Amino acid sequence: MSKEKIVINPEFWDIIPQDYRDLVDHATYGKSDRGWKDVGSSTELIAEHSLCAGCPESIAFRHIMASIPAPEDTVMVGSTGCTSLVFPMVAVQNIHSLFGNQNAIATGLKRALAYRFPNQVKDVIVLAGDGATVDIGLDMTLQSWFRQEKFTTICFDNELYANTGGQESGLMQKGFVAKMAPQGKKFEKVRLPEIARESGCAYVAVLTTSKPSLVERVVKQAVLIAREIGPTYLQIYTPCILEIGKQSMEGLQEMRDSESAGERFKFREFITPEAQAFIDDMNAKKKADKLAASANN
Amino acid sequence: MYYVAEINEEACVANKGCRLCIMYCPEANCIMMNDEKKVAFVVESRCKGCELCVVVCDAAKHKAITMQDR
Ligand SMILES: Cc1ncc(C[n+]2csc(CCOP(=O)(O)OP(=O)(O)O)c2C)c(N)n1
Ligand code: SF4
Ligand code: SF4
Ligand code: SF4
Ligand SMILES: [Mg+2]
Repeated sequence: MSKEKIVINPEFWDIIPQDYRDLVDHATYGKSDRGWKDVGSSTELIAEHSLCAGCPESIAFRHIMASIPAPEDTVMVGSTGCTSLVFPMVAVQNIHSLFGNQNAIATGLKRALAYRFPNQVKDVIVLAGDGATVDIGLDMTLQSWFRQEKFTTICFDNELYANTGGQESGLMQKGFVAKMAPQGKKFEKVRLPEIARESGCAYVAVLTTSKPSLVERVVKQAVLIAREIGPTYLQIYTPCILEIGKQSMEGLQEMRDSESAGERFKFREFITPEAQAFIDDMNAKKKADKLAASANN
Repeated sequence: MYYVAEINEEACVANKGCRLCIMYCPEANCIMMNDEKKVAFVVESRCKGCELCVVVCDAAKHKAITMQDR
């Protein structure tokens, strides 16, 4: 699909809301080198939503939406949780799945798209909370990896069930006390990135959203590897400032603190040799194209 | 009454490439670039008053953003 397909019938232009016109005129659909640097000077693919003021999930959403390589040919799959308050305001096709079912829905969707559009690229990206990914949806998450389904799973890890008031999740840290988990968690944080690697993911990364350039790099890599090779998984710390007792402006510092050496969100990534060869090849081609373009100028 | 961020055009150094507030504001399309003047500006109707932009601008010693009552 190209941006042409979302052109508004001129007869209706005067009754189209301004936000929508901005999207048609200034969004970065169909731009091959789109990335976080476009924000501020183009219209982002998210409109006003109801997440709390200062919520890092909102920051992560912005960085991700700016980075996905082909938004016009992408379908996202969400699940219940705070992220589901954003999806109705996202300008990329998306499906809301029943809590936990997201990787099963994405499986069917990806296969159907490949069948219906055999000669076109169609990316599928799951984006769900930690409760949806590692607790209630763990079966669907893992089975999709075992089956080598070619889509990206992104987990917004805020280490608890935020949307329902702070219950314990598998990704919560050991000993953490939350409003609805007053005794403190008795078990270790589930090592889902390592489980993802062992379950067949071709690329896995753990990060926070404190550096948009890093988010851009890993999101592009995850989507492109899923397109060509196999399942990919990103786990992004998006602290729930409300449930961990932080002020609205403290989310960024919380993320920075959590990514220092030895901390649980210190950046790490796993990539299979096949996926690495694919990325190296792609980068070499890009470099050659650049050289050729500058030689022509 | 609303609590919103306001950018002082004299103090903003977006002309030198600064984009910190635009990068970290949690709200989409909320802090934008005025490409003619080369300064950042706040779309007040989208601002939730979280003050994260003030934190990042102050930390870089630009001190171009203040919070205002409207
Ligand atoms: C099948 C089903 N079970 C339970 C719920 C209730 N529920 C709604 S949101 C939520 C927790 C979401 O937690 P998480 O996935 O971590 O997302 P967050 O809100 O933290 O971003 C639960 C249990 C539901 N909506 N549907
Ligand atoms: S409850 Fe937590 S995760 Fe949900 S919008 Fe508020 S701060 Fe964000
Ligand atoms: S962070 Fe401050 S100096 Fe930088 S662009 Fe924003 S307002 Fe201007
Ligand atoms: S106060 Fe928060 S929402 Fe408002 S402009 Fe600053 S960072 Fe954005
Ligand atoms: Mg959660």
